[in-house]
Amino acid sequence: MSEFAFYFIASCLCITAVLSVTVKDVFHSSVWLALSLLFVACLYFYLDAGFLGVIQVLVYVGGIMTLFVFAIMLTSKIGDHSIRQVNHQFWGGLMVAIALFIVLVQVVGGNPLARLHAAGSSTDLKTLGTSLVTTYALPFEYISLLLLAALVGAIVLGKVKK
Amino acid sequence: MIAHYLPYLKLLLKGVCVLSFIAVSAMFLIWLERKVSAKVQNRLGPMITGPHGSLQSIADTVKLLLKENIVPSGADRLTWWLAPFFVTVPPVTAFLCMPFGPTFIVRDLNVGILFICSITSICVLGIFMAGWGSNNKYSLLGGMRSAAQIISYEVPLLLSALVVIMEAGTLSMQGIVHAQEPCWFFLKPNLFVAFVIYLISATAEVNRVPFDIPEAESELVAGYHTEYSGMKFAMFFVAEYTNLFIISAVAASLFLGGWLGPIRPSAGWFLLKAYVVIAFLMWIRWTLPRVRMDQMMSFAWKVLTPVALLNVLVTGWLLVAKG
Repeated sequence: MSEFAFYFIASCLCITAVLSVTVKDVFHSSVWLALSLLFVACLYFYLDAGFLGVIQVLVYVGGIMTLFVFAIMLTSKIGDHSIRQVNHQFWGGLMVAIALFIVLVQVVGGNPLARLHAAGSSTDLKTLGTSLVTTYALPFEYISLLLLAALVGAIVLGKVKK
Repeated sequence: MIAHYLPYLKLLLKGVCVLSFIAVSAMFLIWLERKVSAKVQNRLGPMITGPHGSLQSIADTVKLLLKENIVPSGADRLTWWLAPFFVTVPPVTAFLCMPFGPTFIVRDLNVGILFICSITSICVLGIFMAGWGSNNKYSLLGGMRSAAQIISYEVPLLLSALVVIMEAGTLSMQGIVHAQEPCWFFLKPNLFVAFVIYLISATAEVNRVPFDIPEAESELVAGYHTEYSGMKFAMFFVAEYTNLFIISAVAASLFLGGWLGPIRPSAGWFLLKAYVVIAFLMWIRWTLPRVRMDQMMSFAWKVLTPVALLNVLVTGWLLVAKG
């Protein structure tokens, strides 16, 4: 039953992820992306990593996807024409994707389910929080700097020139 | 063989209990809202179906079940069809860690409060999809307003919940209720501020007056669910009242001591507190006028969020001073 749940979530995740890059309507694409992010959260819950699952839903589905959809709605007439599926970087992108897939298969190994169970030992919130401000303080600050830069950039781009 | 499937059967039974509770509670709340609005506006409200119109909601449900499902021409079928589910399923899921009593909880997740906050944030997407899929400018405007509102008020909402989490030292719903055994949280000054911020932003999160501009009748017909009819409309309606129950129940658990009470049964205390909050929100809804969009946004970002941040800071100081 437990294995069935994993394979069910994983296959739903794969289907929605593929759909999100193959459908032509940009709004549908974002709906499928939201669903696939939700299934990732389901996987986290399945692995007993409740905190990660909750943050995944809160940040990606509740925050980022909402902004995506907001941007789609504010862009006039974007719903009328469908997006192109390929551009001149198609082959390069495909190469990178295949390489990444091979690497991931190498890392995860033969039996993904067993590996997931081994990796999925839940860490409590306290260890996570403390390591974020002690061991991983520098990367953590880097990320916040990056976000700040993105925020400033967005304001500069969005500002109407007088 | 049967023993092997017993846990799953138990889960199924719990799910059925939650669903029936949601349906009955929504029907009761709809009747209550009509009665409260009638009281405030000095009229009688539904009186004909059953004593004091108490069977009105059942009659309405039957009507909605039998109504034709109309799809507007030019509607985006996929989003149109999916939207009611995106709006209805998250509030149902939030009941997973709602503490009705010391042992009366489906699953006491160790990230309970965050789980409820995050899962209910999915509703925004459903509202967006309903607005986009309807092929109607009123729906689209309603959806966009709703999204802007919910993103803005999520910040003070989570910050006020953060104060409770800091005070209780845990994210689990049961842990938070247990932490209030000596003193209910809303009696402490810093947590009372958090309670007020929570109530204001929660009202905005569920699109109720004075923050009901996403479905402002006088400008937008009914906002994002203008085009829905029959059972799909009923799903939006049930989701709205389930969300109302959830924010009130969370307010009761975070600030009013949850199921704590002098005598048994504890679930009775929990429901009583939740319904007191609901009655308060209904009273507000039928008393206050609607605010303007720009007023609402500037209130969220320029007043509520700074006050909530300051409150977090003060609570941190107090906790450090206490040691």
